[in-house]
Amino acid sequence: MRATTLWQRITTNFRDPDMRARVLALAGGKAIGLILLLTAMKIYLAPALFAQTPAPSGPSPEVNAINTSWTLIAAFLVFAMQVGFVMLEAGFARSRESINILVEGIVDTCICGVTFWAWGFAFMFEDGNGFIGKHGFFLKGLADTYGTTGVPLLAFWVFQFAFADTCSTVTSGAMVGRCGFIGDILYSIGVTGFIYPIIGHWAWGPDGWLNTLSTPFHDFAGSTVVHSIGGAISLTGAIALGPRLGRVFARDGGGPMLPHNIIMGAVGGLILWFGWYGFNPGSTLSALDAGGIGRVSFNTTLAACSAGLTSLFYIYFRVKKWDLGITTNGFLAGLVAITCPCYWVSPTGAFLIGVGAGLVVIWGIDALEYIRIDDPIGAVPVHLIAGIWGTLSLGLFATGAYGAPTATGADTSAGAIVKGLFYGGGWAQLKAQAIGSGSICLATLAVSFLLMYAVKATGTLRIGREGELEGLDIHEHGMFAYPEFATHPSSPLHGSPAPSGASAPAVAPAKARA
Amino acid sequence: MQLIKAIIRPNKVDDVKEALEKIGVAGMTVTEVRGHGQQKGHTAVYRGKEYAVSLLPKMSIETVVADSVVEMAIKAIATAARTGEIGDGRVFVTPVAFSYKIRTGERES
Repeated sequence: MRATTLWQRITTNFRDPDMRARVLALAGGKAIGLILLLTAMKIYLAPALFAQTPAPSGPSPEVNAINTSWTLIAAFLVFAMQVGFVMLEAGFARSRESINILVEGIVDTCICGVTFWAWGFAFMFEDGNGFIGKHGFFLKGLADTYGTTGVPLLAFWVFQFAFADTCSTVTSGAMVGRCGFIGDILYSIGVTGFIYPIIGHWAWGPDGWLNTLSTPFHDFAGSTVVHSIGGAISLTGAIALGPRLGRVFARDGGGPMLPHNIIMGAVGGLILWFGWYGFNPGSTLSALDAGGIGRVSFNTTLAACSAGLTSLFYIYFRVKKWDLGITTNGFLAGLVAITCPCYWVSPTGAFLIGVGAGLVVIWGIDALEYIRIDDPIGAVPVHLIAGIWGTLSLGLFATGAYGAPTATGADTSAGAIVKGLFYGGGWAQLKAQAIGSGSICLATLAVSFLLMYAVKATGTLRIGREGELEGLDIHEHGMFAYPEFATHPSSPLHGSPAPSGASAPAVAPAKARA
Repeated sequence: MQLIKAIIRPNKVDDVKEALEKIGVAGMTVTEVRGHGQQKGHTAVYRGKEYAVSLLPKMSIETVVADSVVEMAIKAIATAARTGEIGDGRVFVTPVAFSYKIRTGERES
């Protein structure tokens, strides 16, 4: 019954010339498409499917595909930390300078890519002497893969570019709110072009002098090389700039300048934590070192957790509030601290390193407040001070079970293992860590003081008084971050004095009220 | 015709709005404001450091009513916004010369 109805419909429709034309056009179009598809399959797919012998292509034997994939995935995660950094910094800053933070973060990234291609990578990762790499400028004349990792050089470059960019962005943290855009560009070229790659070569270059000590200095993923260098430059920047206008320090009866979006800041912190899973586990440069990447991921997680809790409770006992900002700074400090020792410590070690980081970050914030250095987002305590703690902690907590990472796993030969003081390894590793951290921090401080004061001499480091009061965003970039809202930068809440003791100051009743 | 301006706690806006609607007050303008009267400021914490907030967030409700309704409106606002604690706010009443309705050009006094 149904079939006959269908047939009737078809015959009726076929008699209608208009309908007939439409159906034919539709069917014709499909036929043409089908023919084209089959032809394309014949040309492109058939030879591959029916070839008698496999094509003689594929990776050359020294390239390791799985290590390369792992390194690139990690590189992309590390790059995602840029998102975390700009959100953290912009959220913890006032709204009047948040566009500036975004522009600087993006432009610093672009500058870093160009300088690291042109000469930064050559300075840092190629042979030369103990202090600087000397060939491979513009990545020319280099081997196909980096060292024994089996990772193609360009993939390794992407990973290391993301690290250099992290260092560069850390730098801007303590300089938020008063650093001019041109000044930022000038010192950024100094940081990503010279300070980071040259001083980084000491520890990570194939022939770096810290790498060739009798007990070598170890910094697995860069507590010192990335974070302490970035934090130290940031400190000199904050000193060269001076505090933001209107910033009154605690000992002068003042309080902090308030963040414009602490939610954005904390989300940025969590994105950084996520990116750290590329930063630390990726630094094995090897997916074949399965035990290593598992151990590093675990230690990274645990240290961040214990540091966050330590900061949370420490500040709770001080002010009786569960403070979001300090907890964010706390877990970030834990991540920075575990970055150096994560490959060589036990879970207990990672937990204690995190606890230590949660404490030193608060002492660092207190110390900066006391010596009247204005660090709006806590870059110096989180990156420099927790970085020093983490680097030294390897000399205390290294278990002695593992040595340096190789393309296939940890080197566990007797001469290569890393053993700290608490595991019966004596003072040797702690001494090497102290030499590494001390020399790199002092050298960075010295050079970056020169750099910052040189930029300051050009008059571009700090913007003028009017520009700062008006806000960097409108002054340097011609835009407000939230143009649709009637927010006023000089809100009376910014920098109001802290209360003495637990009670807030009484406000006198307004007598003039009708 | 009188302008009633009530400065109230932010969490009392809905109650006051409802109370005014109940007595037939048709329109109002609500603004976020900050200020202080007798209420003490409070302490807030940012990155482990305490700071004082002396200008507190309040809401300002403005409505223009006929003279005969003023007392009833004030009573409605006061009942709805009151908690009995310091910081409940204030109501100001000022005379209005006339009002002009833009759409119709209607003039009321």
